[in-house]
Amino acid sequence: MKRASAMAQVFLLILVLLGAMLGLAPAGDAWAQPKTELTVALSSFATEVLDPPLGGHLVKYYLSMIFDYLVGTTPDGQPSREGGLATRWESSPDYKRWTFHLRKGVKFHNGDELTSEDVKFSILRNIGKRSTTGYAGPLRTLIADIETPAPDRIVIVSKEPTLIFPTYLSRSLSTEGMIVPKKYVESVGDDAFARKPIGSGPYRFVEQVTGSHVKLAAVDNHWRIGTPKFKTMTFRLVPEETTRIALLRRGEVDVADVSRERVPELERESFPIHYRREESILTMWWILGPDGPVAPTKDKRVREALNLAIDRAEIAQSIFGGKAEPASVPLGLSWSFKDVGFKPTSEMVYPYDPARARKLLADAGVGSGFNLDIYAYQLPGLPEGKTLAEAVAGYWEKLGIKTRLIPVDYPAFRKAWVDRATPGAVGYFNIANRDWIGAYALLEKMAYTPAKGNATVNDPEIDAMIAQVMRQTDREKINTLVRGVYTRLRSEHYGVPVVYLHSPYATSKSLGKWNVGSVMYDLFFDVLASGK
Amino acid sequence: MGEERRRSPPFRTSRWGSCSKRQTARTMLRFIFARLLQSLVALAIISVVVFTLARATGDPLYLILPMSASQEDFDNARRYLGLDRPYVEQYLSFVGRAVTGDFGNSLRARRPVSDLIRERLPNSLKLAVFAMGVSLAMAFPLGVMAAVRKGTGLDRFAQVVSVLGQSLPTFWVAILLVEFVAGRLQWLPAGGIQGFTSYILPGFTLGWFVVAGLMRLLRSGMLEVLDSEYVKLARVKGVGEGRVIWLHALKNALIPVITFAGIYFAILVTTAIVVETVFAWPGLGRLAYEGISSRDFPVIQAVVLTTAAIVAVINLCVDCLYALIDPRIRYAR
Repeated sequence: MKRASAMAQVFLLILVLLGAMLGLAPAGDAWAQPKTELTVALSSFATEVLDPPLGGHLVKYYLSMIFDYLVGTTPDGQPSREGGLATRWESSPDYKRWTFHLRKGVKFHNGDELTSEDVKFSILRNIGKRSTTGYAGPLRTLIADIETPAPDRIVIVSKEPTLIFPTYLSRSLSTEGMIVPKKYVESVGDDAFARKPIGSGPYRFVEQVTGSHVKLAAVDNHWRIGTPKFKTMTFRLVPEETTRIALLRRGEVDVADVSRERVPELERESFPIHYRREESILTMWWILGPDGPVAPTKDKRVREALNLAIDRAEIAQSIFGGKAEPASVPLGLSWSFKDVGFKPTSEMVYPYDPARARKLLADAGVGSGFNLDIYAYQLPGLPEGKTLAEAVAGYWEKLGIKTRLIPVDYPAFRKAWVDRATPGAVGYFNIANRDWIGAYALLEKMAYTPAKGNATVNDPEIDAMIAQVMRQTDREKINTLVRGVYTRLRSEHYGVPVVYLHSPYATSKSLGKWNVGSVMYDLFFDVLASGK
Repeated sequence: MGEERRRSPPFRTSRWGSCSKRQTARTMLRFIFARLLQSLVALAIISVVVFTLARATGDPLYLILPMSASQEDFDNARRYLGLDRPYVEQYLSFVGRAVTGDFGNSLRARRPVSDLIRERLPNSLKLAVFAMGVSLAMAFPLGVMAAVRKGTGLDRFAQVVSVLGQSLPTFWVAILLVEFVAGRLQWLPAGGIQGFTSYILPGFTLGWFVVAGLMRLLRSGMLEVLDSEYVKLARVKGVGEGRVIWLHALKNALIPVITFAGIYFAILVTTAIVVETVFAWPGLGRLAYEGISSRDFPVIQAVVLTTAAIVAVINLCVDCLYALIDPRIRYAR
């Protein structure tokens, strides 16, 4: 038995050695002082690239802390003279020269002063050909020249009259307006900059461990937020929701994105839930053929029937736990409605009316049904994607339509859609809500035939209105045109708007008030940290 | 193969006794060289397979570029990322750089893939070592004592552990531990790497499955050995029971266990995707998953080649250990 005890000692020794070895593992200093730091657990970090032209809007959550924008935006999406580097801006009478007056005394985290040269360099870099941001293309096409008449003044010269510059270079869309230090980028190169970025925002970069976290430290007395409430801000990548909630319960994180399904449980435990109301519109559409719409959805009556067959209230309640609102306008980005003075009328709301749907199908000559393929895939932020596809297929089956669900991943659908490879098949997307300029940019990609890119809607009347918006500089006329586009999208039933989704974020009980805002892919953690 | 090894012809037995240390060393070197060569051929084949299959999944730009991207954006990105070159050129460039340890840049993270692997591999290795330690510490006493006390309550308990370990899905065990042990009871960290305690839940979840396999192998091996003539002889000669079990019997029951442990260690390092995802563990498994889900070809290729190399090295070590323990294997080559 002596030998037995010796073996037991060996096993104990193994465990002790393991402990000693693992003691060398990185310590969790990042999460050691929860009182002075904000820790945010997110389900996805997207690209994890800390460079504005490569990260794109999906990483705005943390890039907005490191970098300043040329034009600031309030949490509710309005241009702000207080939130950006430009304290004021104006255009020439022909809307071809836009002058931005820069805030004085702004310094980068390495001590260099921010000047108009940095702004020019950044914009050109952000819209360059290597850029993967959403609006680099249109800006590249539009910008003729950028002048720097003074260190605190920059003039952007356009090839065409335009109103879009202040918004396209603001925090409300993507990352094209983020400003980086010219000298530093030129001295270290693009790759080194992406690994150790320097900006002029209220938080400076400390460390990034890919797949784990990004840690930032507050700048003392920054012009955007004054004395910061949190000395550090850490974004932790936690893909599994159960783990994010466990971290929240343990007090290891202060903010976590959670699914609509888990909200009631968290509310019972008194965790505050902050909603981004109508953060996205969940909308479906039919893939166009090479020459436009194909039968049977080419027929307006069929498109209306498919809309009337769906019980949106039931979908909102049963699939999205009541954290959604029925939608009625295809591609109708509701955050833009107030900007352009559009209000969906009660007649626009689709009732659940299968009887009328059947009649419309019969009138269109397809009363006995037809075959319809529906792509079913998961999307980021939409775990309910496949369930939705199944539910909609079920509603349409009741009309006698023979649906076939095609399980794929999103890129496979996107390729079929962009290539118009499967005309008439149905796809969907949770399109991030945005203001009127963002909505216009989306309509230009998805509903403007000459754009060719992601053509989803093919309608000469809509094409004409969008073409006018492009050339128009009178804001009232633009509003009228955009209202016209929305009205036409609805009256012609160009798609199946399903619901607007509310996105919940749970916070620790002691975090206090937080305005999550209504800006695409931005949660305004700097406002939360503001000591002003 | 194992049977063949055990039934090596008797004339070889006569050579074992007469071979010198130099001969032994030469034979071992030849053996290692042959194994290395086999591993390199396997890696070359794997590189072709993974290169082809990764591209068969589709175009990564549909994931990288935003919904509003135009054809011009697609063309620019394709050119910038080198995806516009012919496949043969891409493959030759990949292999040419890979032999120097350069796997190119990640399409998603825009960083050298070798940097990403350098960041993640140590985390996976540490977790795997911990999980394997937990497994060995649990499986050895349980497996050996279950065989020694066959049919008793301890044996039945060991069988229950074995059945549960092999039948409970890893993701379920992981979620359960996070929900209750970390979230409700708040005894241990729920995720991330924050020192020793953060290894316990993921390590246990990973090791739990291995415990079951190791324990069953040990139990059956011990049962066979304990019934053999030489063990009976040792007992007749009055050798203490502890010495008989832990020294004479266990040593001979170890060979299949070493093979199994070696293979499982490689699996723990390379395929802990579920555990790394649930416990927010930035390891190689998660890197592979991220690479696959974003069609990040350079990452997929590098991770597969790295894991293949790890498996090859571990197999080589196990084979060498085998050859050292059992000379019949060394000479049978």
